[in-house]
Amino acid sequence: MSEPTVPEGGAAAAAGDRAAAAAGDRGAAAAGDGETQPNGAAGLAPAPANSAAAAAAAPRLAAVLLGVACVAWTATPLLHTGWGGTALVVSIIAVTSGALRLALSEVPQPEDEYFLSAPVRAWLAFLAALRALPWEEIGVVALIWLEVQHPSRPLHTAALGAGLVAYVLAVHIGESGAATPELFRREWKVLVAGACLLALGAGLAMLPAAGPSAGSALLRVLAAVAVVAAAVLVVPT
Amino acid sequence: MPSVIPNAPGSLHSVASSAVLAEQADVSWRPSRHARRLLTLAAAGLLAATIVRRPEFVGLAAPALLLLGAARPARPPRVGVRVGVTATRLYEEELAAVDVAIADDQFDARWVLQAGRGIEPASATAVSGAAARFTFTVPRWGRRQVGTVALVLHDRWRLIEGRVSFKLPAVDCYPQPALQRTRVVLSRLPNRLGEHSARVPGEGTEFTGVREYVPGDRQRAINWPASTRRGRLQVNTFAAERSQDVVLLVDATSDVGEPGTSALDLGLRGAAGAARAYLDARDRVGVIMYQWGGAQWLAPSLGRRQVYKIIDAMLAADAGWARGAVFSRLPRAALPPGALVVAFSPLIDQRFVEALRDMRERGFSLIVVDVLNTEPPTRYSYADVVARRIWRMEQQAIRFSLRELGVPLVRWDGEAPLDLPLAPYTRRPLVVRR
Repeated sequence: MSEPTVPEGGAAAAAGDRAAAAAGDRGAAAAGDGETQPNGAAGLAPAPANSAAAAAAAPRLAAVLLGVACVAWTATPLLHTGWGGTALVVSIIAVTSGALRLALSEVPQPEDEYFLSAPVRAWLAFLAALRALPWEEIGVVALIWLEVQHPSRPLHTAALGAGLVAYVLAVHIGESGAATPELFRREWKVLVAGACLLALGAGLAMLPAAGPSAGSALLRVLAAVAVVAAAVLVVPT
Repeated sequence: MPSVIPNAPGSLHSVASSAVLAEQADVSWRPSRHARRLLTLAAAGLLAATIVRRPEFVGLAAPALLLLGAARPARPPRVGVRVGVTATRLYEEELAAVDVAIADDQFDARWVLQAGRGIEPASATAVSGAAARFTFTVPRWGRRQVGTVALVLHDRWRLIEGRVSFKLPAVDCYPQPALQRTRVVLSRLPNRLGEHSARVPGEGTEFTGVREYVPGDRQRAINWPASTRRGRLQVNTFAAERSQDVVLLVDATSDVGEPGTSALDLGLRGAAGAARAYLDARDRVGVIMYQWGGAQWLAPSLGRRQVYKIIDAMLAADAGWARGAVFSRLPRAALPPGALVVAFSPLIDQRFVEALRDMRERGFSLIVVDVLNTEPPTRYSYADVVARRIWRMEQQAIRFSLRELGVPLVRWDGEAPLDLPLAPYTRRPLVVRR
């Protein structure tokens, strides 16, 4: 059984919209404001279209802004040595493509792909490339790689960590349509514990090493890993 | 793939479906995109920390690890799902629905309908919730695969997702019957009780005249005013009420025109409407489908079920397509003597026209409904213009020859009710000429 060609039912939603438009008021209430229709919502008054569109666009816009902020935060000061430039370019491409993927996620894929013109085929190939590659993962790796190129700056790295987690969460909310208040109500303890560990990691990095050898640095890393592992094991579900 | 079972009473979420797929379906679980992103962030942070020996990267990886570790989702290998279609037989443009429901409510369920070819969704095709209903229509007659329903399950943290896919049963879409309220009635009807007033006297309700009383007449039939005037007993006479045999002849050899309004579409819709109209008048109705593979037929019969039998026969005939077969004479069982034959044809196939002539010469009463509503494409070369004129002249000649044989021929565009073109023949009985 083939999977949907558009992530999270974008084409399906668009088809629903088309059908609703064709059927007049028969299915417009169900299909007009996107593909996600919670069960039992039929008796509720439909939300205005503008506010629904704004609610859907806000997490995506937040994801884009967080991605841009992470890139700018990590890139300063600019590095002209090593792989810094490459990592910066890769991260910019990844964040831009991820933003485009989110923005174009509801563009439908045509059912019949025969006898299409060259521009349409190019557009479809572009959409397929956007949807095929894991741009957010590439961006995260590139940003960490870029941060590694810089000399040690623990507080800066901790802020980047917070930004990256926020970026990943915003992308998740933007593409899944998950309710933001409910998500944070469910995971606030974990997020607070993560922020504490983030600060702990930064503080640990700022402590002077016991000795100048490489082994002492590794021991500090292992200590941080042990703390994180312990936190993961006891974190409330 | 789960199997089709009859809908059980008191089913889950009271899904009223004619055929229900209800099974413990196998679920294939995998990490969600969100989980993969968190995992990438954590792994990259830990790797960087280990390689460059900077503990702040462990802190960077910590929130992602905590988010991953906090979730302890259950992954049941099977879930109870019900998927049903409200109707497996429907008319064109009639609304039908696919009902879906999941028994397990510990997951966020998302249903996606992937409509098959020829299926037009009439509502949102992706819905979240434990139960959902997708409505759809079928724009054109035929046997259609409704498509598939995909179920995507998410845990509370959206870190894993499970997928199940169901193939929906096929639906039979019947042509939308044309509107017909009036009927063509023959002047000579078989001696069988029915609802049409015959020209012979009988026990019907339609008054035809007054005659002198003879012993044996019923007393209630005496016309007292006439008896008083004439001085002798007079009785009322009534017309007999008879039924007729109607044979619908559908030409499936030439399907020309735009899909949806092609000659075959119009023929099937017209035949379905005529079948319904004549069966409502207690006539016996049968059908003969002319096609490349020969003729398929259904003997005339009575009753509401006969409508569906006729439409089923017409749809089944559409599937048989064999080049090279030749027409022979129509089977006698399909054509009772004295039957009214209503033919729906674009009159393009010469062999069908010859079959009509043959039937007329055998004494059948024919009415031909011309359903040709297209012409060869217009081009600007002289040869094409001439060819088109010749084609038109041929068509006119075919129609002229049929009229010369005494075959009434009416043109129907598929939009107006069938009563309109048939009006000249429904006002009075059609004279049977042998």
